[in-house]
Amino acid sequence: MTQKADRTKHPSFSKGIKVSGEQAEEPEIGRPYPERIRTPNEVGSAIVHQLNGPLTALRLYMGEIRQHSGRLGTTETDDSLQQIVENAFQETERVCTMIRLIADTLEAPLHQEGAVELGRDVINWWTRSSGTEGGGNANGPGVADAASPQSIHALLTPRQREVLSHISQGCSNKQGALRMQIGPRTFESHRARVMQKFRARNAADLVRLAFGEHAATP
Amino acid sequence: MAALNPHESRGIPRSAKTTTRILVIDDDACVSSAIRAIMARRQCEAVPALRAHAGIHTFHTSGFDVVMVDLFMPGMNGLDTITQIRSESAVPIIAMSGFRLRNSLDPDQDFLGMAMLRGATITLRKPFSPPQLVAAIDRSLGLACSTGDSE
Repeated sequence: MTQKADRTKHPSFSKGIKVSGEQAEEPEIGRPYPERIRTPNEVGSAIVHQLNGPLTALRLYMGEIRQHSGRLGTTETDDSLQQIVENAFQETERVCTMIRLIADTLEAPLHQEGAVELGRDVINWWTRSSGTEGGGNANGPGVADAASPQSIHALLTPRQREVLSHISQGCSNKQGALRMQIGPRTFESHRARVMQKFRARNAADLVRLAFGEHAATP
Repeated sequence: MAALNPHESRGIPRSAKTTTRILVIDDDACVSSAIRAIMARRQCEAVPALRAHAGIHTFHTSGFDVVMVDLFMPGMNGLDTITQIRSESAVPIIAMSGFRLRNSLDPDQDFLGMAMLRGATITLRKPFSPPQLVAAIDRSLGLACSTGDSE
């Protein structure tokens, strides 16, 4: 199959298709999954496509209105300018409806705490990929990158942080409970809460989480 | 009556007397409506077409000074539309798109660049403003007059 050979040339296809022994199944720590790049690309492209038409129309109308704003509301107002004002209003309504539809279509994560974090991640992805213009500090100083351990830790209680740290060091539930001088059941419940918060499926996910990588990709 | 043959329109200097006729091929009706409303205030007539085939048909049946083509349309895409129009006419073509979709490995290549390779006269990135629209139409007419020189 030549198709396979062609596809592997593209970096975004490198995951999932074994090219050679060098290709690791797991991406390096700190590097996003190719799926995580592709999905925002697709979602972004769809949104760009949806909004470009009405925004082009709006920009044309508003540019015209601005240029002749002095004549609005006076006896000089001509019909075609009135029509443009009306069209601009209709397009504004259309953009608002579209944004509402897009926002409603996006699938929320299962847990509310995770939702805030994932939302930040999307915004951070966007500012990162939009280059230097307004990037970085656009979110303000308080917003950390979701992939960074600090922001993950900010979502956890001190106890949950401690549990995560023990798990990432390879402790079993029993060992962790001993180290923390709490009952194994309590340790397990803290652990379950962390897993639930980040939709982690197993200990490996939790370890990745502790090292600043996202756990589950549904 | 505007110039009936697009080949003839190449040498015609635009004067206030002749109405510039623009064919707008875009699947988003709101874009062509806006272009039509804006250009009508400048004594230009914009004729909308929602699909490539309908646009090419309109192009055959009536004379146009400029053709504006959106790149992403259902059915025949804008790039193929440009190829087809260019194969039969030297009419100025303005390729428009909101997408650049640059590949980070090959940043010079994007869809608007591909449109130029297919024979578009100039490109216009959406969303554009009225001065940009008017300038694009003027420039494309000027470029077509000066035997298709590209910058």
